[in-house]
Amino acid sequence: MYVLGWRGVIREFFRYKSGVVGFALLMFLVGLAIFAPLLAPEPIFYNWYVPTYWSQQTLPKAAPPEWINSFSDKKFAVRQVLDPINSYESPSAYNFTFIYNYQYDIPTYDIYFEIDSSIANNSKMLMLVDLIRPDGNKIVRLIDLKIDQPFVRISLRSLEESIRKIFGFGLAYESEETRKNITERGLLKVLNPMNVIFSSTGEGIVFGKTKPLKGRYQFNVVIFKINPSNKVNQIKMIVTGSVYGLLGTDALGRDLFGGVVWGSRIALIIGLGVAILSTLIGVVYGTISAYVGGWVDEALQRIQEFVISIPVLPILLIMAYVLSPTVWNLIFLLVIFSWPGPVKTIRSMALQIREQLYVLSAKAIGLSTWRVITRYILPQILPYTFALVAFSVPGAILTEAGVSFLLGSQGTLEVTWGRILNDAEKYSAVLTGMWWWVIPPGLMIALAGLAFVLVGNALDRVLNPRLIR
Amino acid sequence: MGLAKYVSYRVVNALIILFFVLLITAFLMNKYMEDTIKTDIENRIQQEVYRNPKYARLSTEQKEQIAAQKRAFYYAKYGLDQPYIIRVLYRAYDAMTFNFGKAVTLRSSSGSSYVTDIILEALPRTILLFTTATIINIILGIFLGMKAASNIGSLLDRSISTFAMFTYSLPMWWTGILFILLFSYMLNLFPSGGMISVPPPSGIMHYVDILWHMALPLITIVFVSFGGWAYMTRSIVTNVLTEDFVITAKAKGVPERKILYGHVLRTASPPIVTSIVLSILGSLSGAIITEAVFSWPGIGRLYWMAISSGDMPVVLGLVYITTFLYVFAVLILDLVYGLLDPRVKVGTV
Repeated sequence: MYVLGWRGVIREFFRYKSGVVGFALLMFLVGLAIFAPLLAPEPIFYNWYVPTYWSQQTLPKAAPPEWINSFSDKKFAVRQVLDPINSYESPSAYNFTFIYNYQYDIPTYDIYFEIDSSIANNSKMLMLVDLIRPDGNKIVRLIDLKIDQPFVRISLRSLEESIRKIFGFGLAYESEETRKNITERGLLKVLNPMNVIFSSTGEGIVFGKTKPLKGRYQFNVVIFKINPSNKVNQIKMIVTGSVYGLLGTDALGRDLFGGVVWGSRIALIIGLGVAILSTLIGVVYGTISAYVGGWVDEALQRIQEFVISIPVLPILLIMAYVLSPTVWNLIFLLVIFSWPGPVKTIRSMALQIREQLYVLSAKAIGLSTWRVITRYILPQILPYTFALVAFSVPGAILTEAGVSFLLGSQGTLEVTWGRILNDAEKYSAVLTGMWWWVIPPGLMIALAGLAFVLVGNALDRVLNPRLIR
Repeated sequence: MGLAKYVSYRVVNALIILFFVLLITAFLMNKYMEDTIKTDIENRIQQEVYRNPKYARLSTEQKEQIAAQKRAFYYAKYGLDQPYIIRVLYRAYDAMTFNFGKAVTLRSSSGSSYVTDIILEALPRTILLFTTATIINIILGIFLGMKAASNIGSLLDRSISTFAMFTYSLPMWWTGILFILLFSYMLNLFPSGGMISVPPPSGIMHYVDILWHMALPLITIVFVSFGGWAYMTRSIVTNVLTEDFVITAKAKGVPERKILYGHVLRTASPPIVTSIVLSILGSLSGAIITEAVFSWPGIGRLYWMAISSGDMPVVLGLVYITTFLYVFAVLILDLVYGLLDPRVKVGTV
């Protein structure tokens, strides 16, 4: 390194393919971590485990990513926010007409109505929605609801009365046997009402087995004022679609892209934090052990061997119950168990440097042990520690992910890749084929590890004197 | 250090670790167990005093007096009146004799609620899976590593190094999830989890069925770890290959295979054993989680279930028993190392 100088090191580093690829991956990750607030709004991070926040976001649940439509022959409905194409106010009521043009194969997850109104105290309005399908069939009073708050968000799927009405419409086309079977076995709860609305009539409509019915769906909304001073300011219809964003949503309707992006920040903080701290401790420890020698060396070596043979995971699990599970505590615990890693290598390097002439002369002129170590030996070892840091990041990230995966809600409070995978496992995402919930977080863990391994590999070849040929 | 000194040092080291984990376990277990015993006692007092028709006519104060007496009696019975240190020592003794009390909700398949029974039932399954995986890994890793080392720079050598680098950063358990997604959800080749079909087949098919369930977890563990083992063997063997005795053997005309598997492997085996110990240490946590992912009903699955249902006695029992086994396994491998490395016998290490 002193032969090459900083510029030389950088030039040498990029001569290796692994250096270039590793650096590119690393920049990608660091970019994600730094620009997380721009890529995914901050409330996503703070409210990841707040169900009420996610129920307000009107996202479809368990929805695959949007780009799946380019690869699949069955098209998924996309998210649409509709304004009324027609509105009419009479002294007693409002009339709104929404037209939803459905040209897909897999219907939307849910339909929301958002109503912003001014309501007099202790008064109510009455909302009725009729649906006219493209084939001319009608579902009258699909929604029949009282509005008593200035802002309401109505989810069609959460209205039991509406769901009963939808299935009532569908069951009329089923055979007597199926009808009996379904009601007796209580199957209605597991069937998707949206399939009934958006499928053509015929046997099998309640299971969504008939052809999708494409065309214009007209929603006629009537809101009765009841009190003349009540006013509707704005009304919107939100079709959630059945695909969402870059990485889709999970079973609770959380935007997985947000989770993966914010998870990169935590992963990098933990990975780098643990790697830097434990390498620093290991380097100083190994150097002192080698330089001082004698019984101190013996004792320090025994302590290191002791710590390195403690199994990390069981201890970490049990500690998580004792300490509060914050990111900082996790870093602290991981450092306690990972500092012995580099000690042996550093010690053998320091043993060689100790015998160098300039160190001996420094000792001879009476410099203190501490001064010799910090001014004469450590600077020689320091360049190599960059590679050591890079090599110990993947281990830290993997352990963190494993602990988060195993501990779930008892692990760190922040959203991490491991916790997203824990949720996926709890909701058996694999068995329901929700690959978009499982692949991205794990791939990020693997990529983060790979980035540091590649960088470490290139650094090692440039900086480790033993490998230079 | 002679062999005797080496062995005794290793044994003492193992004992210290066990003692350390024992203390933590005892400390945590004490708090938890006392809490459960206390709520248990309060429930009993409710039953025996406040809801007892015999005492129905007594005044509240009289009832409280009787309750206090009963409480003192039960506290003495369960040793809760002893000083704190003594109580913790009791728990340490409990843990040492593998007496972890009863589980809260988990049961063994025979219906026992004793933590020891539950863990002992799961243990052989874990050992079955991981010994098989380790044996495959050792054979595959050493064989490929030797092949690569004897042909440095060949296609095999380069692909092993690249593959090892990729799998080094791959979480084993996530690879397991991926394999389930691919092989059992999409291709429907293997079962997605568990150890045996329901209902279990009889006769020889019973074992075939277990093997069929074991295939996917086994493939996962081997896929993620054998690259690293091969790479490690490769670097150790490459170093040995440059030594004088190898050149001498070559000059004498000893066949290549014999040099490689006779002379070189003999010399390279002590450091390979050390590395095996280290990589088993490193993969333990991944392996535990991998088992949980595959619903393989062993220790790892038990960890997952105990943690998600908050069954503290089982968690504590598991922590202690896994540490125990782990330290024991490391000790055995260390002793093997001592036997393999001639320098230990002479006392130069």
